[in-house]
Amino acid sequence: MRSLFLRFFIAFWLLIGLIIGGAAVSGFLYAERLQVTIEDFEVGNSMAEASAVLASGGRDALAGWVRHLPRDDGVIVYIVDAEGRDIVDRDLPFAMQRYIQRHRGHAPDRPANDDAAPRERRRHRVLPQLAAPDGEILTMLVAPVRLPGSFWARSDERLMLLTFALVISGVLSYALAAAFARPVSKLRAATVALAEGNLDIRVADSLGKRRDELGMLGRDFDAMAEKLQRAAEKQTELSRNISHELRSPLARIRVAIELARRKAGELPEFQRLETDTERLDSLIGQLLSYARLDDDNQANATTINMHDLVSEVAENVNFEYGGKDRVVIDWQVGEQVSINGRRGAILSAVENVVRNAVKHSPDDHDVIVRAKLRNDKLSIDVEDQGPGVPVEDLARIFEPFYRTRTSAELDGNGGTGLGLAIAKRAVEWHGGQVEAAEAAAGGLRVRIDLPLVS
Amino acid sequence: MTDKPGPSQVLLIDDDRELGVMLTDYLAAEAITVTVQHNGEQGLASFDQGNFDLIILDVMMPGIGGLEVLQKIRLTSSIPVIMLTARGDDVDRIIGLEVGADDYLPKPFNPRELLARIKAILRRARPSAGEVRVLELGDIRLDTRTHRANVHDTELKLTGTEFEILKCLLETPGQVVNKERLSERALGRRLLPYDRSIDTHISNLRGKLEHAGDRNTTIQNQRGVGYLLIPGH
Repeated sequence: MRSLFLRFFIAFWLLIGLIIGGAAVSGFLYAERLQVTIEDFEVGNSMAEASAVLASGGRDALAGWVRHLPRDDGVIVYIVDAEGRDIVDRDLPFAMQRYIQRHRGHAPDRPANDDAAPRERRRHRVLPQLAAPDGEILTMLVAPVRLPGSFWARSDERLMLLTFALVISGVLSYALAAAFARPVSKLRAATVALAEGNLDIRVADSLGKRRDELGMLGRDFDAMAEKLQRAAEKQTELSRNISHELRSPLARIRVAIELARRKAGELPEFQRLETDTERLDSLIGQLLSYARLDDDNQANATTINMHDLVSEVAENVNFEYGGKDRVVIDWQVGEQVSINGRRGAILSAVENVVRNAVKHSPDDHDVIVRAKLRNDKLSIDVEDQGPGVPVEDLARIFEPFYRTRTSAELDGNGGTGLGLAIAKRAVEWHGGQVEAAEAAAGGLRVRIDLPLVS
Repeated sequence: MTDKPGPSQVLLIDDDRELGVMLTDYLAAEAITVTVQHNGEQGLASFDQGNFDLIILDVMMPGIGGLEVLQKIRLTSSIPVIMLTARGDDVDRIIGLEVGADDYLPKPFNPRELLARIKAILRRARPSAGEVRVLELGDIRLDTRTHRANVHDTELKLTGTEFEILKCLLETPGQVVNKERLSERALGRRLLPYDRSIDTHISNLRGKLEHAGDRNTTIQNQRGVGYLLIPGH
């Protein structure tokens, strides 16, 4: 069927219609059957017989007669006295009690009006009454035998019927629910996968050739995923092109500087040129990695041993500072502590924070990297002994290109102004936080909190 | 540089024409003759015809990229290859080494650095006559004169760098050789921060040894220090 709306509408309409119609028809048939039973019963004959018994044997004989009436006519005959009680003390059916109540109010002296509605007429119907020799008025009432088994057959058949009804309606409902739920759960899984960065995901094939709203939703989803994928590819492509196009002239400049050196001999300007091309190059690299943090997906996530990673950073930074132990690690958690994520991003986050600390510390002062567990997170403090950052600027140091006065003075050191911004982005991408505070020794303390691998 | 008569022949495959002209100029002064090709197809054709000592290969080129060119070259030859990669692109760099590059240099590079690496690799490729030796350990046999390595009768197809690493480890079996020394011996340069090239070369070497049927000797990693060759029982 073309439309989900139509499918639901028709299915519900049919089901509810069938239920109401079925109930009404079977109720009607049952009522009609009872009616027929009553009508078939010859009230006149019984009346005559009862009258005779009453006249000859009195009330007791009538009771005996009632008790021994055959039951195969499908009716029960009740003889009710003036108080509305059965003469053999049987419980009257509820409907009959009400009937008698009503008739006691209306004296039979009000004759039935032929023009009245059938319901009215029935109410004023004259009940067959018998007069006992002692003057007591007894009323004869006839009710159909309400043996449930007689209509609904035997109980095992009833069970079968019920089972059958349950199975049919179950199959129908299941088909309906499945028609809706299955594609929805497929779509949901695809949405989750898409959000996790699996931009290849498409659903139209797995939804089949549905022409309803869900099929359309699936195709719209695919179109959206396609667009996202193309945008991501363009972004990556753009990054690569920017990198390539900006670096090619830099590469040529560097060769040109060397060639010029050979011709002109060593000039201080060549060193300047070289330093600045190097700085431009690292700025391009940092800009690209800052931009790339967002579009990378979770596909490359691995388990990262943080002790190894921090040791590697410390080793490398020490190596760069001529093998001096500028970075000291104070590892207060187990060496097996791990997080989940992209190693490259976390490495550059830690490295940028540590490098920043070393850059702002006086030569003979250590930078301390302290690891602890705080609130089930791995908390890495990087503390330097530099001049620190004014409290009002603490939050701003993670903004791209933000510079404190001291870092402006240190410009010659080749900072790009992106290091801490990259660190913040990378850590937040991994569900962690970065914050800056004043260190105990007066310098800057940067705290990286990362969720542990579960 | 000139251990051998005549200039060294280098094939540069890079789509940057101007850079090619300048590098040719720069390296000519060091007695290195550069043949420049601007795309992968021409580079491969040139490689098939010429007799080169070394190839410098740019990863990012239109058409066949540098990695694919390298794969094709490695099917037939163990000629030393230096890859030029984008800085910071670890993926290119590591894949380059896995595919069989001897070394890599991020672009833009300092031309003096490039020159130093070329010289290191060329020097290594031409051992002096006094060094002729055969090193053996277990099933592994390495001939420094013919530059051949075997496991039993199976020849190992090693790149120059892998050969040097294996040689270095074979000289002192059972003793740890640190990564700095391996880098200096095999790559002719100092180990750099975050430098994983030696680890990648070692992993390639392990793969080749195992593939050639060597089950006895193992190259073991001494974390944070270096590698050692453990003879089998």
